[in-house]
Amino acid sequence: MKKPLSLFDNNPHIWRGKQQPADNARLSFGIPALDNALNGGVPAAGVIRIASATGIGELSLFSELLTRQKSQKLCVFIKPPAQLQADWLLAQGYELDKIHVVTPSCDNDALWAAEQCLKSTACHCVYLWQNTLSYKQARRLQVAATQSDTLCILFTPEQQSTPLPINVDLSLSMKDSLLNISIRKQRHGWPVNNVKFPRHWTPDNSSIQYAMRTYRYVPEEQHHIVS
Amino acid sequence: MWWAYFHCYQLTLDVHSQSTQQVSTNLPTVVYNPQQNCIVQCDSAALKSGLDINMGLAQAASLCPDITIIDYCADTELSALNALAHNIYQVASDVVILPPTGIAVRLDNLLQYYGSYPVLWHALTHEFTQANISRDFGVAWGIEAAKVLAKHKNNRFYTTHQQVKSALQNCDLNLCELSDKTRSALNRVGISAVGPLLAMPVQAIGQRFHNDVIRYLTALRGETFPTVTLFRPKETFASHITLPFEAENAQHLLPYIKSLLTRLEHYLRARNLLTSSIHFTIGFRESDNLDLGVSAAHTMVKVMDWQLLVELALSSKQLPEPAISIHLTCDSFDDVSPEDDDFFSQRFSLLAQKQLLGRLYAKLGDEGNTRVLMGNDHRIEKMTSHQSVTSVSEQSAAYSPAFLFDKPTPLTTPSRICFGPLRINTGWWDNNTYQRDYFIVETHQEHRLLVFRDANEQWWSQGVYS
Repeated sequence: MKKPLSLFDNNPHIWRGKQQPADNARLSFGIPALDNALNGGVPAAGVIRIASATGIGELSLFSELLTRQKSQKLCVFIKPPAQLQADWLLAQGYELDKIHVVTPSCDNDALWAAEQCLKSTACHCVYLWQNTLSYKQARRLQVAATQSDTLCILFTPEQQSTPLPINVDLSLSMKDSLLNISIRKQRHGWPVNNVKFPRHWTPDNSSIQYAMRTYRYVPEEQHHIVS
Repeated sequence: MWWAYFHCYQLTLDVHSQSTQQVSTNLPTVVYNPQQNCIVQCDSAALKSGLDINMGLAQAASLCPDITIIDYCADTELSALNALAHNIYQVASDVVILPPTGIAVRLDNLLQYYGSYPVLWHALTHEFTQANISRDFGVAWGIEAAKVLAKHKNNRFYTTHQQVKSALQNCDLNLCELSDKTRSALNRVGISAVGPLLAMPVQAIGQRFHNDVIRYLTALRGETFPTVTLFRPKETFASHITLPFEAENAQHLLPYIKSLLTRLEHYLRARNLLTSSIHFTIGFRESDNLDLGVSAAHTMVKVMDWQLLVELALSSKQLPEPAISIHLTCDSFDDVSPEDDDFFSQRFSLLAQKQLLGRLYAKLGDEGNTRVLMGNDHRIEKMTSHQSVTSVSEQSAAYSPAFLFDKPTPLTTPSRICFGPLRINTGWWDNNTYQRDYFIVETHQEHRLLVFRDANEQWWSQGVYS
């Protein structure tokens, strides 16, 4: 006689806590706290949602991750919030001839472009800025991305929290120079809240401050004269 | 059948401007044909200074003293056409080279692969833009009709017979490939354009004209199957670059070698091949050619891998005199074996990329698609350009933000300075002088912005570090 639960046992979409993660292709951030929370990093294919404000280093966090993988394929930016800068891309390690920016006039066109890019197998990574995404649209992107082994990074505003059928759902915020990441959902793993680590993603004046501390100006009358 | 004909009217100039990208000059350049003693091709700078096609050399020199003259050479043009056909062959099947300046491509049988004409057309024109070849084109039911339209500088994409017919109506008879005698005979009976000629019944022409005329006319009407030799790419790879200057130092050859290797990589990728030995021939004016064979221990395809080896091989060579040309050949290929992960770990499909870009351009148009390129300026808003700029330094400014706003907005939120000041005081050459002190600031929400203080002590925010 068949066990009553055998239907569930055989379903490939059901994952049990005792199983090891099936796919081992993961991209590691190189930040121990974050990598541990994500079981070794983010999956190399599929959709990742980042809910964050613009300007806290959310894009450069993923750029560092992706430019470490040298790829001949394209990197597509769809509907970025403002004009993307060539110097920044170069400094992050992108190759400019592998970059394509799509600026569609409406959300539907943006989703269409994202799906085309994900399906085409010509892209290494697709960055998409989108305010809202329905369950069905997210599912389409997720299927297209996993089938063609492409990463899709979706940036949404902070307030967005509707659950979506995607690989990883992160929320980023910045407090006291510490980047605070909450993993709201991850496939084959538990949610983890408040992973914090310090982060520098812009040049700062620390070298000048260091030089000024080290070579402090001493007025001449205080010099000791050794005779 | 549906054919496109491309009339490449300034091949020599285009090839020359490609090879001189590194040393761009704005001097007028013309191509001179010594046999006919006339100028056959002019670039835009030459046209601006009053030069024109069909001028003699003396007249040209008197109009413009600092003119650059390139000799016309039919072989150079033919090899440029061949290179172009090689590129087009990657995206189209039936390609015909029609010397001296024409390339015809059959379109209707490609439709099932591309889905629609706009996508196919973008793929084709992309090849031309990438090769930087200026062209006029015509689209019609046959090669001959398309050729007449291209020479008429029609440059429109037609999809129906009716459109082509009305476009052909007013084309001049001189554009047809008829002999002078035939043309004057036709003129005498009052036919001076293609339209009335096409309307004439064949029997009426057959009584008065030679068989060749009938043959041409039926081809022009698209009634016969074209008897042309289709282009077939060669089995081995060979590519040639004539240097724009005489290179004394072997190191100066490296950029040109890199572009040859890039061509080789495209060739190999498209055919799923690898190679383990390549052969350079460096040409000189007087001495014998210098042969430089480079072999690798295992089969490779990437430009980077080959470049390292070539640099090593070249560093031990002394050039006997300044080099004028480089030739690269490769005739031993290996198939990709399954254990060679050079290909499959980073499986890269050029065709998929072209199809994707074709689709994006077809649906969203030029305004919906941008490329990001380095600009040639220190001003933050001009550091990124969307058109290609010649002679750009590859040095990036580390303080550049990820995103730049369309216009600076007044800074209203209280914030703390993390980096700066960085003063930019420039722009005197285009009457756009400004003095700005740039800072990176952090707002209370810890967002990092690029702000500047202008000469009037006003604070503006211009970009965001994402």
